[in-house]
Formats: sequence, C-alpha cells, structure tokens
Amino acid sequence: MQQADTGTKMVHLGKNTKSRIVSKGISAGKAQNTYRGLVSMHQKAKDSRNYTQCDSLLIGGNCGAHTVPYIEVKNNSSRVEHEATTSKVDDEQLFYCRQRGMDEEEAVALVVNGFCKDVLQALPMEFAMEAQQLVAISLEGSVG
Amino acid sequence: MLEIKDLCASLADEEKQILKGVNLTVEAGKVHAIMGPNGSGKSTLSYVLSGKDGYEVTGGSAALDDEDILEMETEERAAAGLFLAFQYPIEIPGVGNMVFMRTAVNAQRKARGEEEMSATEFLKEVRARAKTLKIDADMLKRPVNVGFSGGEKKRNEILQMAMLEPKMCILDETDSGLDVDAMKLVAEGVNALRDKGRAFLVITHYQRLLDHIKPDVVHIMAEGRIVKTGGPELALEVEQNGYSDILAEVA
Repeated sequence: MQQADTGTKMVHLGKNTKSRIVSKGISAGKAQNTYRGLVSMHQKAKDSRNYTQCDSLLIGGNCGAHTVPYIEVKNNSSRVEHEATTSKVDDEQLFYCRQRGMDEEEAVALVVNGFCKDVLQALPMEFAMEAQQLVAISLEGSVG
Repeated sequence: MLEIKDLCASLADEEKQILKGVNLTVEAGKVHAIMGPNGSGKSTLSYVLSGKDGYEVTGGSAALDDEDILEMETEERAAAGLFLAFQYPIEIPGVGNMVFMRTAVNAQRKARGEEEMSATEFLKEVRARAKTLKIDADMLKRPVNVGFSGGEKKRNEILQMAMLEPKMCILDETDSGLDVDAMKLVAEGVNALRDKGRAFLVITHYQRLLDHIKPDVVHIMAEGRIVKTGGPELALEVEQNGYSDILAEVA
C-alpha cells in the first residue's frame, strides 16, 4: 500500500505573470495519492494569473486520490483558478478496447497513457517514451 | 460460420432471463438481419456473443467456425474474427484514432501468431480505407470518438472493421442516429467489405438500412428468441404492419 504526497509550488513575484499547472495522478491497488499545490501571488504580482488542473485516475475500488490546494494571494487583482477531476477507467472503455483485440492490461495501459497525454507530450521525447513504458510496467499485475 | 444453439442468458445479478433459447446460423458470405420490438434482446445477443461483462450464459452454445466462443475472453473472440460495431461507440480521451487502431490490429495479429503490421504498411492501408469512408486525416489524429458527431462515430466503427478484417461482423443498430446521407456512406462501407469469407449480422429497427445493405435472411426477434425467419420481404412486411401480426402468429 503506497502513499504518495507530492505537488507543486508556483510563486508569482512580478506583474502580469501567468502560470499553468497540469497534474495527472494515477492510483491503483490500495494506493493513496495526494496532490498538494501552492500558488502564491505576492503583493507586487498585480494582474497575475494561475490556472491549475488536477486530474486523478482511480484504477480499482480500493485506492484514493486527494487534492490539497494552498492559495495565497496578497493583492486584489490576481486571478487564481483551480479545477479538479476524478475519474476511473471506465468499464465501457475497457470492453471497447478488448472487443478490438487488446487484453485487459493493454487496454488499461492505453487508456492511462491517453489520460497522461497532456503531460507526456510536454516532455522531451526520450523521457516521454520511457515514461510511457514505465506506466505500462507499473500497471502490470495491478489490474484485475 | 456462426452457430448459436438454444442460447439462454440473463443479467449477471438477476434471475430474469433475457435470451430464452436463441437459435441462429449465419453462413459465410451471407448477410442476416435481425429486427424486433424494443426489449426483445437484440443488443443483449450482441453483448453476450462479444463477451461483455455483466451477463451470464445459462444455457446453450455459440460457436464461430466450430470453436466455442462462450469459453473465450473478449479479446480472444476478437482475435478469432468477431467484431461488434457498437450502437454507442465509446470515447477514449487522449488516445489518437490511429494509435488505437494500430494497437488493436497488432494485438490481434500477435494473438494469432502473425507478424505485426509495419508502420508504413499500416499508414497506407488506413489512408486508403479512410478515404472511401470520407474520414479525413484530421479525424484520424483526433482522440477516438471524442467530439465526433453520430455519423463520424459510426463511420469510424466501419473503418475499424475494415482495418481489422474480421470474419463475423455484428452491427448493433449501426443506423441509429444517422441522417440519410451518413447512413448511405456507412452502408457503402459495409457493402465494400462483403466477401465470401465474411458474414454480417445486422441488428436494426428500420427497413431503410436494409434498402442499402440488402440482407439474404431476415429474422424477427421477440421475447429473447428468434420467432420468425424469412427473406428480405419480411422486413418490408414489418415496416408496413409492425410486429403485432407476427407476434400474434407465434404466440
């Protein structure tokens, strides 16, 4: 049973600064995954903006995902947005993939990779390819 | 090719039988149509044949080329040549259409001990098939079915069918939600795949699809069983008079 508590810190010091955070968390087995994100807008960071998207994917019925946003704003013109979604690998999606010939593990790996795509695409190619393989390996045996 | 004998099935946690002894034989090279009132079990038949979770077979058998498919996993049935064109195709965010199809094609080839399709071969094949179905390059790159219109989703099903080259194709209400032009395009796609080594089971509510995909045999399904079998004229009869006469006949 793994517990992961990770996250980000985004500090805005200057005017008109903008930031975007995309967090994709995947929990399987009996794991608990927590995203802890700090967005800090300092006094001089007027008209600054942040958009944080925190997506969690749950595989199986015994795991959990948690989001803890910390938002500190020290001026009255900043804009901070936080969106969180929680989803599971849909049975219908798995059936669709399996009916096309993939076995359950392959199907879950495919759907999970799709889930992470936004983040993987932003990584340098060599790293992205390894990350994809790593996701597939981590999923081995945790399905079904 | 497909032989179903006395197939009985219910929803996994319930006692209520949905399929109450379906008998059906579809020979290679033929197109069979199944029509029937809502709740007759048509879609359930397609789900039980393709191995969807949530259903329990309580009796009978189903074989594809003499191989018992009820004992196989969903993906094994697919590799054996069974294809289900979904009534409501599923969206898979973040997974490109091409990636999905290539993974599927190669998964089936691997299961059958065949060589995987090379990237160039695959690209060539997909582009050719997509062109006839009026699916443009952009649609091929988009995530599977995400934001696709009803017509695009159904054409995508036919594209997948073309790429996977299955032996037994079950089309579950492929015409639902389609306008006349989209339906013609889908029908053309299906007709282009007719082959003496391939069979089709077309589940539909409406005669009009059968104007374009001319069936060899038409079955009427009611209350979990096939109650009447006939030629294409049977579909016309249903269109004119509804099901009540036929149901009265067999009651």
